[in-house]
Amino acid sequence: MNLFTSSTLLSLLILTMPIMASNFNSYTKKSYPNYVKTMVSYSFLVSLIPTMMFIQSGQEMMISNWHWMTIQTLKLNLSFKLDYFSMIFMPVALFVTWSIMEFSMWYMHSDPNINRFFKYLLMFLITMMILVTANNLFQLFIGWEGVGIMSFLLIGWWYGRTDANTAALQAILYNRIGDVGFLMAMAWFLFNLNTWELQQIFTLNPTNTNLPLAGLLLAATGKSAQFGLHPWLPSAMEGPTPVSALLHSSTMVVAGIFLLIRFYPLTENNKTIQTMMLCLGAITTLFTAICALTQNDIKKIVAFSTSSQLGLMMVTVGINQPHLAFLHICTHAFFKAMLFLCSGSIIHSLNDEQDIRKMGGLYKSLPFTTTALITGSLALTGMPFLTGFYSKDLIIESINTSYTNAWALTITLIATSLTAVYSTRIIYFALLGQPRFPALILINENNPLLINPIKRLLIGSIFAGFFISNNITPTTIPQMTMPTYLKITAMLVTLLGFIVALELNMATQNLKLTPPSKYLKFSNLLGYFPTVMHRLQPLINLLASQKVASMLLDLTWLENALPKSISSFQMKTSTLISSQKGQIKLYFLSFLITLTLSLITLNIN
Amino acid sequence: MNPLIFTMIMLTVMLGTMIVMTSSHWLMVWIGFEMNMLAIIPILMKKYNPRSMEASTKYFLTQATASMLLMLAIVINLVYSGQWSITKPLDPTTSIIMTLALAMKLGLSPFHFWVPEVAQGIKLSSGLILLTWQKLAPMSILYQLSPTLNTNLLLTMSMMSIAIGGWGGLNQTQLRKIMAYSSIAHMGWMTAIMTYNPTMALLNLAIYILLTTTTFVMFMLNSTTTTLSLSHTWNKTPLLTTAILTTMLSLGGLPPLSGFLPKWMIIQELTKNDSIIMPTTMAITALLNLYFYMRLTYSTSLTMFPSTNNMKIKWQFGHLNPTTLLAPLIILSTLILPLSPILALLE
Amino acid sequence: MLKIIIPTTMLIPLVWLSKNSMIWINTTAYSLMITLIGLPLLNQFNDNSLNMSLTYFSDSLSTPLLMLTMWLLPLMIIASQFHLIKESYTRKKLYITMLILLQIFLIMTFSATELIFFYILFEATLVPTLIIITRWGGQTERLNAGLYFLFYTLVGSLPLLVALIYLQNILGSLNILLIQHWSSPLTNSWSNSLLWLACMMAFMVKMPLYGLHLWLPKAHVEAPIAGSMVLAAVLLKLGGYGMLRITTLLNPTTNFMAYPFLMLSLWGMIMTSSICLRQTDLKSLIAYSSVSHMALVIVAVLIQTPWSYMGATALMIAHGLTSSMLFCLANTNYERIHSRTMILARGLQTVLPLMAAWWLLASLTNLALPPSINLIGELFVVMSTFSWSPLSIGLMGINIIITALYSLYMLIMTQRGKQTHHISNLTPSYTRENTLMAMHILPLLLLSINPKIILGTLY
Repeated sequence: MNLFTSSTLLSLLILTMPIMASNFNSYTKKSYPNYVKTMVSYSFLVSLIPTMMFIQSGQEMMISNWHWMTIQTLKLNLSFKLDYFSMIFMPVALFVTWSIMEFSMWYMHSDPNINRFFKYLLMFLITMMILVTANNLFQLFIGWEGVGIMSFLLIGWWYGRTDANTAALQAILYNRIGDVGFLMAMAWFLFNLNTWELQQIFTLNPTNTNLPLAGLLLAATGKSAQFGLHPWLPSAMEGPTPVSALLHSSTMVVAGIFLLIRFYPLTENNKTIQTMMLCLGAITTLFTAICALTQNDIKKIVAFSTSSQLGLMMVTVGINQPHLAFLHICTHAFFKAMLFLCSGSIIHSLNDEQDIRKMGGLYKSLPFTTTALITGSLALTGMPFLTGFYSKDLIIESINTSYTNAWALTITLIATSLTAVYSTRIIYFALLGQPRFPALILINENNPLLINPIKRLLIGSIFAGFFISNNITPTTIPQMTMPTYLKITAMLVTLLGFIVALELNMATQNLKLTPPSKYLKFSNLLGYFPTVMHRLQPLINLLASQKVASMLLDLTWLENALPKSISSFQMKTSTLISSQKGQIKLYFLSFLITLTLSLITLNIN
Repeated sequence: MNPLIFTMIMLTVMLGTMIVMTSSHWLMVWIGFEMNMLAIIPILMKKYNPRSMEASTKYFLTQATASMLLMLAIVINLVYSGQWSITKPLDPTTSIIMTLALAMKLGLSPFHFWVPEVAQGIKLSSGLILLTWQKLAPMSILYQLSPTLNTNLLLTMSMMSIAIGGWGGLNQTQLRKIMAYSSIAHMGWMTAIMTYNPTMALLNLAIYILLTTTTFVMFMLNSTTTTLSLSHTWNKTPLLTTAILTTMLSLGGLPPLSGFLPKWMIIQELTKNDSIIMPTTMAITALLNLYFYMRLTYSTSLTMFPSTNNMKIKWQFGHLNPTTLLAPLIILSTLILPLSPILALLE
Repeated sequence: MLKIIIPTTMLIPLVWLSKNSMIWINTTAYSLMITLIGLPLLNQFNDNSLNMSLTYFSDSLSTPLLMLTMWLLPLMIIASQFHLIKESYTRKKLYITMLILLQIFLIMTFSATELIFFYILFEATLVPTLIIITRWGGQTERLNAGLYFLFYTLVGSLPLLVALIYLQNILGSLNILLIQHWSSPLTNSWSNSLLWLACMMAFMVKMPLYGLHLWLPKAHVEAPIAGSMVLAAVLLKLGGYGMLRITTLLNPTTNFMAYPFLMLSLWGMIMTSSICLRQTDLKSLIAYSSVSHMALVIVAVLIQTPWSYMGATALMIAHGLTSSMLFCLANTNYERIHSRTMILARGLQTVLPLMAAWWLLASLTNLALPPSINLIGELFVVMSTFSWSPLSIGLMGINIIITALYSLYMLIMTQRGKQTHHISNLTPSYTRENTLMAMHILPLLLLSINPKIILGTLY
């Protein structure tokens, strides 16, 4: 079994090689991106070994390598947890990253800092791996913050653009709000259980876990862009498309859900938290699906669809099916990354045009991308026997058959059907119909750096779900029997969505432009959320910090209370004391008064 | 002034003080005070002008009053005890009158009005004598009487002196006035400790004299009497600016400079006598003094005061006043805090 | 300890006797060597302290601070070179002498055994700092800043002197190592509360506590680079060090006296960090961020648990290096743009990419990115405040968010965005500056490998 741990560590070590190499000359060379990509692919291949072994034997492991420090009774190690979740997720993430890196060699080829871009991507990947494999909360936190910061750097990659910087700051802000929850959970575990090691926490199985789990839920809300803390995800689309593909669809944003899945031994006993997760997830999935409906930016649509899927995962954790949620994370990674790559391909081909209204008819000029995009969308909607089907269908079935909140269920179903709607919208507007882009653009998708990664992910989007769900025994048993109408509900709502969307798209093709309805405005303006939260909140806070903290307290009250008042008092006294005319009368008066007073008062006793 | 006469007068001044310090007979003490006072008047009027005239008149009147009061106290004491001996403990009334008389001579707070006026009216060198040597005689009497003095009276006067010394100096630009107020404040510190540990008062006096001498010598070097002219020091003797800075901070009693030593000791003694609030108040009030010293250092050393080009070549002409004494004085007035363990010998 | 103090003292003749062209190099090299002499002190091989003599000792609380102090002297000398380029050689030498003098005082302060000795040196550090601020500062406001600095500290610390003497009268000694065993618990009385206040106020002003912090932004903004560096890195830590030392004497009064100050710190932490959000002045922003970070240290010290003490110590070291680095970075901008206003120096990443990397690292450590020691400090403080009162996590959380915001706001403001046209002819960053930044960031990174040497006595 030594091979198990050592090959896992090897695959992690391989990832650090290019970072080390950045100290040497090779970093300045043209071949660095290729080197990084190759290393990631090696790492992927190596990581398959422990995964296969895990699938074969089902044995979980924990490695403690390096004793960092012991604080009082708390021992902090560098330790890795090689269990079901990390073992499955590692190859998936590495595979997706490999493809995305290859894609970015095409997408970013003209960027002067492409080497640094690859280094950032790799550093992100490393922090993600740390997050996935961490066995204690501190290590998890390192990865957690690491992915946050790397997402800040990558979103703000084009640092000359104000929007990119704002989006990056927004991402960090929302993530930080989540971090507070994480810190609270850490504090609670330390305070009550005196440990940060995951298996010790699970073994101790504390009762009354509302507070730490709420903290973790907050953390997950921030990281996975759940409702309330969701606006950063669509804004993050300011980053380069490979970044969106890697961070904001397949890996980083699922970290929140992953965290909750990691803590399923605690969540499965806590109904309150489950309900909260269910409701939060349901609201998220519906709200973001509605927002996705009317967006015109292709990346934003995909981003909202990611958010919606994250909501769905949250719902799944909420109905106490963490393994299903995990399966959905894995399958979702493939097709969502591919959708982003396809949109990246389209955007790049159309000279950085992101508006789907200015696309159209791309099935002729970009046949391969079109194929991949349609397959990806179908997988996303859960078409049978594509990857998405294996997880999504099960999730819907489990929801349908579980005794949970009917509202949440309905909402989720509506969102599921809306998935089909916005997918149709992308396909219809971007790919079908007449071209609406300028005629002089040279479209060429025949670059192996573009074709190969999409191809790999396409294969993944078709077969990965099958492979994963066939090879891994789900630990929580899904519903085995159910009535036919429940079994086909998922299919039906999705198909309904497709048909309605197609009809609507056809029908609205030739409609006259009418003043937008308030429903459209609601959806298009993201439910007025950014308008309210992003204007009012900072305005209040910044105004408060200026007026209250700075002007009123610091510059006025504190200044007046101590230094100013003291100095003015001293100056007044000083004037009083020293302004005498130097008349000798005064001197003798003072002598007389003092003499009399002291003789009277001090002679009494 | 004729050097011979000047020497004679100076000798008389010194003789008077010496007589006060050494005699054990009250009449001789009084005579010593009178000699000293009468001899100092010509020194104050070394340069004859209305200002110094006014100053010396004021000085004469206050000192004469003080001497009269002193005589009164001596006579009352004689009536009560029938002795002229200075060793005999005084009765309370005598003690109070005596204290007030000496306070008048020292320029302690309710009687402080003359000090800045007189100091402002006379030459720097006379000011130096006025603010240092003239304190010796009354201090020595207070020292000898310390067991029988009225603590409440002394402490009241000392607190007032410290406060007035601080406040009075705050809006002055004249160096001699500032030094006069500084003297008032220091006298306050000395009298505060007088009844508890007179040795500490002497230590304070010694260090005060040291610091004041250093300061006056530095002022005399460039004949500076205002803050403005002090701020031109950097044109003439740049090195002196540093010395002024350290001496001023030392006067303000900032650790680790010499000036902190007496403050520290006095606070320690007072605290030992279960007095907590008073030393704290005194220490914080002393910050007022530090403030105006700081202002002097600001204009002297910490900024480069703008000046015309004529001013900038002043250093070429050299200066006539010898500075031999200055170096040891500066070193003593800044760096003797590490010697504080020696004080254990005084106990 | 003399093996450190005497060489440091001998740096002064070195400065004055060096050839004019060699003053910077000589002092930097020799002070770095002195740092090396100090390194073995970090090996605190048993739980006791290393008692060099009756006067000096070092334990695992003072040693990290001592090392920080020693490490900072070469950094200050490196950082000040450009600032003094127009001064005459005598003045340069005087300036370096002041830095060295401050260094000597600080070393002695941190290693003093006797509390009164500690006090004298604590005050003694004011003089060179004051001279550095008011003599070599930028604008005329520096005079006011110097006064604020001096008088806030003095008013705060004079009661301490009285309190210390009082304690000496009671306990018979002020030896730090002895009195923590000798002191008996204070009874619950008004006078003991006053004693507590007198003991703590000096350090709280120095830290500074919110409300008494007004001197800090002024002094920081007006001071020359070395002054800002040493203020942020070491002088503020004197307060923390003093509090950690003196609270051992003040039990159990601290338990109830701490509440208002805890509240004030928690509130002030948020206030000051939100002030940071609106700063246009780079140095002022960093100064306020110092106040906010130090509030965490105050909270940690007042909570008085092993975790919080460790957090306080770690945070002090981490903040020392980080804020000093931020000041250096701000100074490199200032030396190029000749203004501290952030809006005049934006989009610098395009022009000075390596500097941007340092900015990034400094901002990230400032917002406590794991696994930097800043995080260790903050994490421990958060943990201990959580155990003190779970509600405090709300305030801590807000502060964490705002800290991240203003750190990144500073980063984005200066480094990101479009390049403005007036910064096109900037001088490239010197090797000296890059060395300076590297020398700040290296200890931070290395310490996060083995943070236990900065966790203080209770580790």
